[in-house]
Amino acid sequence: MQKIKKRSLKWIFWLLVLAAAVLGAAAFALSVGSAGIPFGKVFRILFEGQKGIERSIIWDIRMPRLLLGFAIGGALSLAGVILQGMFRNPLVEPYTLGISGGAAVGVSLNILFGLHRIGVLTMPFSGFLGACLVILLLYGLNMKRRVLSLQGLLLTGVMINFIASSLIMLILALSRRESLQGIIFWIMGSLDEPNAFLTRLALGASVLFLVATYFFHSDLNALALGEEEALHLGVPVERTKRLLFLITSLLIGVSVAVSGMIGFVGLVVPHFMKKMVGCDHRILLAASFLAGGAFLVFCDTLARTVIAPMELPVGVITGILGGSLFVFVLMRDNGEGR
Amino acid sequence: MVLQVFCLPLKAEEGGQTPLPQKGALSQRIVSLSPVLTEELFLLGVGDSVVGRTRYCTKPAETDKIEVVGNLTEINVEKIVSLRPDLVLVIPLTDPRAKQKLRSLGIRVEEFPEAADFRGICDSFLRLAGMVHKEKAAADLIEKAKREVSRIRQETGSRQPPAVFIEVGADPLVTMVKGSYFHDLIEFSGGVNIAAEAVHQLYSREKVLAKDPDIIIIVSMGFDGEEEKRIWQGYPGLKAVRQGKIILVDSDLFCAPTPVSFVHALQGVEKILHAEN
Repeated sequence: MQKIKKRSLKWIFWLLVLAAAVLGAAAFALSVGSAGIPFGKVFRILFEGQKGIERSIIWDIRMPRLLLGFAIGGALSLAGVILQGMFRNPLVEPYTLGISGGAAVGVSLNILFGLHRIGVLTMPFSGFLGACLVILLLYGLNMKRRVLSLQGLLLTGVMINFIASSLIMLILALSRRESLQGIIFWIMGSLDEPNAFLTRLALGASVLFLVATYFFHSDLNALALGEEEALHLGVPVERTKRLLFLITSLLIGVSVAVSGMIGFVGLVVPHFMKKMVGCDHRILLAASFLAGGAFLVFCDTLARTVIAPMELPVGVITGILGGSLFVFVLMRDNGEGR
Repeated sequence: MVLQVFCLPLKAEEGGQTPLPQKGALSQRIVSLSPVLTEELFLLGVGDSVVGRTRYCTKPAETDKIEVVGNLTEINVEKIVSLRPDLVLVIPLTDPRAKQKLRSLGIRVEEFPEAADFRGICDSFLRLAGMVHKEKAAADLIEKAKREVSRIRQETGSRQPPAVFIEVGADPLVTMVKGSYFHDLIEFSGGVNIAAEAVHQLYSREKVLAKDPDIIIIVSMGFDGEEEKRIWQGYPGLKAVRQGKIILVDSDLFCAPTPVSFVHALQGVEKILHAEN
């Protein structure tokens, strides 16, 4: 009893810390930028209804970007946690399964054939279509006698990624200079999404899927012991695997279709959270979601301010910051272990 | 006002035909995301309505007082909005998301495709002039440029046309085909572009050897021109090598397609092509 109480307190503590991190990152994101609006004024503008250019900068430019960063960071981290738990493999991340590759091919083809001139929404749509095709392919190839082979999923996923990157190279070789630029922009990933509908969609989907994954928290804990053990514990293993695969695929599909490929968040954040809050999925899911959101918002703000008025691709910051931080923590832990 | 004063010597140099900017037409606040368009706005005498530029908009020198809002591809939307422009000039290379975002915020965004040849340069210049109500100034500048072009064409028309290979990229070898202003520069100054009829800008060394041009012009844009020159000199069978006609030119001569700089470039190419004739 004592133990359970202590654990609950620890979890509440972490949730509060992470919520504070999200708020901190949000305040940072809202208050810095090349327009140089003073810190105090930002909050006056936020809560008062005055019209003007500064209000437009905060509400129409910084806020959507903040929300999208939170949604995508959360979604990718959540997908990372689930995949690492399901595959029991610390190297699996949202982009391992080839879903992002499918989305990238979809968008590249769209740009190559100039379909994006029909409407702005065709871009994320073709990305999502590519992602869905890969999901179906993965599912179809690895579903044998009503059993979803995780090993096979991983291998075919990696292969599909290779094929996709070759296809993208082919498309790049065939395209004109303007298209080239568009494809490279998209592949680099960006949270600067002009379409409010897409931002809302990403935010809604990621929160919805977070809630959905909570129906599987104990199954995920059991799966962490191994498929057979989980089966003995009474977990409907096949159904759980299938549903989790679908949930994560859709999460990845939506994220990649809306914001392109933003690396590292889905790999590094889950690892960090496991170190901090432990491996119990009851807390790990929410913690990773919040931490991923805060991390990406923070990185994106850095990306648009370090060399202002120019902007860095956000993946540069997530890669350098996340990667080096992770190696540092890993080395420190190894040192302690000795 | 300060900029206007600085503009004067520039215009005097152009021949003094540009009328002074009228007060009423200067109401616009323009952000230009293309070095060419920025230069053209100054040519039109409305340089002081440019409130934002890219890092590469460095011509004329007055541009250094204008705020930088990005490089060619990555631009800072927040910075642009904070400058309160009523017109943003973009190119196909500009980040599509940024263009869309600016449009959704109710800012007029006009895209200028890269002008392919001399005619394209003039059309684009006229279109830009229409946006800042400087049609007359533009027409005058174009008229002057066209006169100079036809003068050079007439002068060089009677001479023996040298065959020219123009190299704008090494490894892979890239040239310029018909429909580009590089091609126009060569043909207008009485040369023959050996790659005129090629389908693609990628060209093979083998073909250059087969066509054996009289002159090879290397426009070094991001590659080592001297090294390329040495490579060509390794083929002593080439006419251009025997006659010492492998010529390195500064990319600045070629890389600003405004009607005025086109004429400058044309004069430069004319000198290269007919150096000894």
